[in-house]
Amino acid sequence: MLQERLESYLNAKLPAAADLRLSNLWRIPGGASRETWSFDARWREDGKDVSRGLILRRDPDASVLETERDVEFRVMDAVWSQGVPVPRMYWLESDGKWLERPFFVMERIEGCETSPQTVLMDSRFYQARSEIAAGFVEILARIHAVDWVACGLQFLGVPASAGQCAEMEIAKWEAVVDRDALEPQPVLRAAVCWLRNHLPPPAQRIVLVHADYRTGNFLCSPNGEIKGILDWEMVHLGDPMEDVAWASIRPWRWLGDELVGGLMEREEFYRQYAEATRLVIDEEAVRFWEILGNVKLAAIFLTGARGFCDARTRSLMMAFLGRNIGRLELEIMDLMGV
Amino acid sequence: MRPTGIESLRGVQAALMEVIAPELQSAFAQDAARTAQMMLESLANDWDTAAENLHRDNRALRDLLSQTREAIGSLPESNDRLVALVKEIDGALAKPTGQSLAIYDLTAENERWRGLLERTLVDLENASLKAAFLPLMPVRQAIYAHLREVAARGWSFWDVMSFRERMTRLRAGDSR
Repeated sequence: MLQERLESYLNAKLPAAADLRLSNLWRIPGGASRETWSFDARWREDGKDVSRGLILRRDPDASVLETERDVEFRVMDAVWSQGVPVPRMYWLESDGKWLERPFFVMERIEGCETSPQTVLMDSRFYQARSEIAAGFVEILARIHAVDWVACGLQFLGVPASAGQCAEMEIAKWEAVVDRDALEPQPVLRAAVCWLRNHLPPPAQRIVLVHADYRTGNFLCSPNGEIKGILDWEMVHLGDPMEDVAWASIRPWRWLGDELVGGLMEREEFYRQYAEATRLVIDEEAVRFWEILGNVKLAAIFLTGARGFCDARTRSLMMAFLGRNIGRLELEIMDLMGV
Repeated sequence: MRPTGIESLRGVQAALMEVIAPELQSAFAQDAARTAQMMLESLANDWDTAAENLHRDNRALRDLLSQTREAIGSLPESNDRLVALVKEIDGALAKPTGQSLAIYDLTAENERWRGLLERTLVDLENASLKAAFLPLMPVRQAIYAHLREVAARGWSFWDVMSFRERMTRLRAGDSR
């Protein structure tokens, strides 16, 4: 049983803890990359009762993303010390002996929601939408201001030059399409070709790119405060416009209108971001990164579909996403102007 | 045979929603049931049209590749890639068209045509940068028009959330 094994693990990690007990262990829906479990831990230490709400993130059998969990752990740990709101990271475990697969354990931030349905449509959150929008931009600027050298994040791979950021990302996601496509993908292949023929100017500076910064990946309280940025699996060093564009792509607008992240007008997003970062928004560069963002999302769906078809996962969401990349193709063609 | 395939699928959806889902205890299991419901909806939408769409697409793809071959042939100058492409298209067009209407066979044929279209479109994208290949642009646009028609048949997970209706109510001041 997961609960007993997790108790054993925590007992090993907390030698000073007595009477350690776990409760309310439940699997959180969503999260197509790693299994996410919530639980409460209580113990006695130095004569006092200690209680913590914790989150377990465990590697799945198959995923839409094939990433190393230690990258996510190390980066979240590093940016926490830089004032970026993320859960505190507690333990990283690569050895499968404890819970069959690698995992990490982090703080559970209480009283918040991540679901776009709730954050964008629940009336409590809807009243606070301008606060959510302002926080969304301000935190992105803070991530892009992280001194990644001082934080020791060079292990993420430093682009050889600011001009190589785009080519590196094209190559990364083309390789995923090469690896995981189970059938011809004329739109994605043509888009990759288009991207190589329309490279953006060099990055204005090389920053820490979250690479999945969007509505649905932050923890938000009903008063509109964003208390945690989640899902750092794809984090890397690169062009800040990549995050600006990813946050703006149609799938993450959610509401069927043109509001970025379902939160704000694009012009306002650009204005606030430029003011906070002193970076210039190049709309052609953002278009490039939006096309690449849609290609990337389609590639992620293809990975999920392959995992399903190879019987490495029973997740129906992976199958469903794989069958439905048509809307991404339409968006890619719209953005290419063809 | 009754119930038909589509009637049976709809019945499975109803049982999942009305009988099975209410009994599920965990949020994770309920979420999996909702995803299963979406998957069944996607399959039900395909049920009647899959064979006809594949059959029509295969004819359209054959026509598009034939048009591409003609357009390249009419160019005053070419390059090695386009010459090789014409050879490949000629080879594919020379093969007899499949007669089977089984989805498996239609899908296999579709993948062959789309594989060739994939290579063709990449070559046309590169050609689009050169003025000498301007006469190829109408067929490039025709290919994209076909790909748009196919892509528009799909739907996506963010369509099924009924966001728009909920937002309309919220914006009208109804916070139920």
